[in-house]
Amino acid sequence: MNNEEAKFILQGYRPNGTDANDAAFQAALEQVRRDPSLREWFACQQAFDSAVSAKLGQMPVPAGLREAILAGGRVTAPDAAQGRWWRSPVLLAAAAGVAVVFTTALALWPKPAAASTALADYVMSDAAHGDLHSGHGAESLEAMLGDPATRLANGLTVNFAALRKGGCRTVNYEDHEFLEVCFNRGGVWFHCYIGQRADFPGLAAGPTYQDKDGMSVAAWADQTHVYLVAGKAGRAALQQLL
Amino acid sequence: MASEIFSQLVDAHYAPLFRFALSLTRNSSDAGDLTQQTFFIWAKQGHALREAGKAKSWLFTTLYREFLRGRRRAERVTALEDLGPVEADPPAPEVDVVTGMDAGLVVEALQEVDEVYRAPLTLFYMQDFSYKEIAEMLEVPIGTVMSRLSRGKTQLRSALARKESAGRSKVVAFNNLSARKLP
Repeated sequence: MNNEEAKFILQGYRPNGTDANDAAFQAALEQVRRDPSLREWFACQQAFDSAVSAKLGQMPVPAGLREAILAGGRVTAPDAAQGRWWRSPVLLAAAAGVAVVFTTALALWPKPAAASTALADYVMSDAAHGDLHSGHGAESLEAMLGDPATRLANGLTVNFAALRKGGCRTVNYEDHEFLEVCFNRGGVWFHCYIGQRADFPGLAAGPTYQDKDGMSVAAWADQTHVYLVAGKAGRAALQQLL
Repeated sequence: MASEIFSQLVDAHYAPLFRFALSLTRNSSDAGDLTQQTFFIWAKQGHALREAGKAKSWLFTTLYREFLRGRRRAERVTALEDLGPVEADPPAPEVDVVTGMDAGLVVEALQEVDEVYRAPLTLFYMQDFSYKEIAEMLEVPIGTVMSRLSRGKTQLRSALARKESAGRSKVVAFNNLSARKLP
């Protein structure tokens, strides 16, 4: 890590020391300990941040605001439906109907393994024949993916709409849109495909791996997105990423 | 009991929520309205939140969303991010100068920062939320938060320097007798 990278990361370090144990800052803080010029910059930065924080905390709040909120809260009735839906026979019957439909759909739904196999095949084929892609606005995600400290399956912060708007390459799989962000980890290139979880409700959450024609792919999902990372470096390389 | 919980929630968070709203709206009256509106939404539906520990971030997230909803300038927000590379650190006002400044003046400088940077910057300076929590609240990647903090601080330094410079060169009006009196 050089000083510019350390400075970038330390912009998010709160002056009250709350972040002292956050692992993301440790390398940058170590760099601060080693480099006198960075230490001087960090001390100035913390003093400046601390002074601004103190001033913000001194900003007075209008008299009467608290009382107005409390009075308004008293006359704002909670939504009647919330927490009491089961008392309504109509809603209870509707819920039972939904449960039946859901159970049936679940039984008829294609098996996750089959769905993920076809999707993984598609991704491996696309990655094997495509160029390296990214897009404006994907730089921070690309950096996060390329950071050796990032374990991909531990959670990625992805703003699907912003990436798409930023010009990320999109591919279409069975009428479902995937974004492709390529990244380099230790000199090896990988293709990361991101889709909407709602489009693949049957896909298994845990990582699954497949290999075909010299390509390997890892697939996993969180609550909002499904991810597939493909590359030519083999399954072991993918397992290290996750 | 519900009323008691609501009172505790208001006491704990209404001041920092107002300050966050003030930095967004740049107007005390609008900030007050936005703060009230946020608590009324809580009164209407927030009790459904199962984890009381998440109430604070729920309130800040709701306030920010309500602000965006009211303003409907999403396109402008996106465009503001295409500003090119981060400038080198401008000459920052000395910390002593910031310390000696009136809090209102510092908040005014904060309000001059472009909105897209102002929201994460204000949340950062409140020191109640980590960069990860700010990313979740604003629904942006962590790297974007870091980048916005960096750019936001650059703009804030420039704004503070302008305020400080304006303060030094301020001409006292001839008819302002009290200001012209020697100590």
